[in-house]
Amino acid sequence: MRQYEMMVILDPEVEERTVAPSLEKYLSVISAEGGSVDKVDIWGRRRMAYDIAKKSEGIYAVVDFTATSDTAKELDRQLGLNEAVLRTKILRTDAR
Amino acid sequence: MAKPVVRKPKKKSNPLKTAKIETVDYKDTALLRKFISDRGKIRARRVTGVSVQEQRQIARAVKNAREMALLPYSSSAR
Repeated sequence: MRQYEMMVILDPEVEERTVAPSLEKYLSVISAEGGSVDKVDIWGRRRMAYDIAKKSEGIYAVVDFTATSDTAKELDRQLGLNEAVLRTKILRTDAR
Repeated sequence: MAKPVVRKPKKKSNPLKTAKIETVDYKDTALLRKFISDRGKIRARRVTGVSVQEQRQIARAVKNAREMALLPYSSSAR
């Protein structure tokens, strides 16, 4: 088990109040594979420094979780397939 | 004989020390903006006055922040 921190940029067309439940759904893979979600921080709509997928804004969220590396990889894969997710970044917080 | 002019470079105050930051986080864009030029380039160590290790942390943080569109790769100012 390792500690991870993930940042996701969601499509700005997703409605603001549906963000939390849909994020929960994406993260269900963590608990299903024995990990745990420690913290979910939704930053909300934010202007991006450059356009991604022809969009100038994005909904940012930062998630801290503990899981195995396979789970983290699987989560990244699933989010990559998701149309509503513009970009993800998973970093290990216990490294360094 | 003219004496050769010896330049004593002024020691720069370490901006990380003054802000009391131990690990540089890519999400802290307000801090990272101090280490990039107005064109979005990472400032050199001789300009920023931080240690080698800190400069490395900063560079990595800026690059991570760029990937997540928190900082620009290049700003077309001018």
